[in-house]
Amino acid sequence: MVTATFVLVLSAALFFFYIQVTCQKILRRQFDREYFQSIVKANRLEFPSLRKSLEEFGMSDDYPRLRMMLKCDFLALTYLLKNSANVKQRYSSEERLLILYCRWQFLSLAARHLLKFGEEPATLRLASVLQYFANVVGQRVNTVQFGNWTATDFLFYL
Amino acid sequence: MESNLVQYVVQDSGILIEAALVFYLVWTSKWKGQGAAAFYLSSLVAGQLTRACFLHEYGLTSLRYYYAYWSTDFLLVMSAFGIVCLFFRRACSREEKMWRLIRLFLVLLLVLVAAISGVSLCLNRHDFFTYFLVAFNQKLYFGCLVLNTLLYLMLHYMNSADDQLELLVCGVGIQFAGPAAALALVHLTYGGWFAKLLAYLTIPLCTFGMLLVWAYVIVYVPKTAGGLGRRDAPLRAVPAELSKL
Repeated sequence: MVTATFVLVLSAALFFFYIQVTCQKILRRQFDREYFQSIVKANRLEFPSLRKSLEEFGMSDDYPRLRMMLKCDFLALTYLLKNSANVKQRYSSEERLLILYCRWQFLSLAARHLLKFGEEPATLRLASVLQYFANVVGQRVNTVQFGNWTATDFLFYL
Repeated sequence: MESNLVQYVVQDSGILIEAALVFYLVWTSKWKGQGAAAFYLSSLVAGQLTRACFLHEYGLTSLRYYYAYWSTDFLLVMSAFGIVCLFFRRACSREEKMWRLIRLFLVLLLVLVAAISGVSLCLNRHDFFTYFLVAFNQKLYFGCLVLNTLLYLMLHYMNSADDQLELLVCGVGIQFAGPAAALALVHLTYGGWFAKLLAYLTIPLCTFGMLLVWAYVIVYVPKTAGGLGRRDAPLRAVPAELSKL
């Protein structure tokens, strides 16, 4: 009984640890420039301002609004990931994994809010996943040309 | 019924992805750099196809399927141990001294697990499959999970630049840790239906998770050190006249 409990606790902890580490490794991917800026501007996404205010002023008291902002950005970006400049019209394997990770972080954020413990790191993790998604979308859109302008240039000067 | 259907769908998709990855590795000649992954994927495909054939031919409750299941389980656990050893070898490719120590440790661990499982066989000599093989497989499987975690910590400690290896190790960790937790829960609940259902779903889903991570590594992550997935533009060829300057 003791051995089984030990195996259960250790294996479950390691399982979540490996998922977390894998997602963090994928998120560390370097992009040759900040593609997410144009996507944020064109779609009026709120995660960069949210992250900035979080870093400057700490966690906001308005949890429902914060969650709604992140959720809206998540929905918009997952839609764009699937449909914008994506010939196959489907997610890649790392995108699927990160979408699952994002959902898990939303659950984690809700639990942390209830427990009033460590909401800020979970929010920052969500923001970093959203930034990654925006970078991927921006990179894809950038490859599509409109005359002499790339799609990102076009979006940036809107 | 529905949970069985989900399990079969996930399992069959897993076999298809495994076969596709093996095919991709052979087709693009990437298997030379990913020998360990190709070896493990091939053994997974072989093991699961053998099980599927026996299940189809003799049925779930037949003795032949029982033997085929535990024999392939033994092969899969041994190949899991093999892949962890190969990953250790890759991690210590520049540290021959350390590799000699680790190799000794790995051999000793295998002997120790076999010896401990052998005690079960001595007590119950009439059933090799139930008492030796099952105990051996369980212990070695958990041993592989612990070894894999030690390998991850070692890579972290060495500040390894091999991004591919780190992600491959994470993928293996997902595949080992999920089923180990689920099976421990089954054991703790004395085979309760919820724990069993969870185990039936967790095991193929974890394999699926590992395959997703590996597919990402094999297809997108370059083997050279550096930023994950960053593809620097190839250097332009320098004309011969300029190169002489």
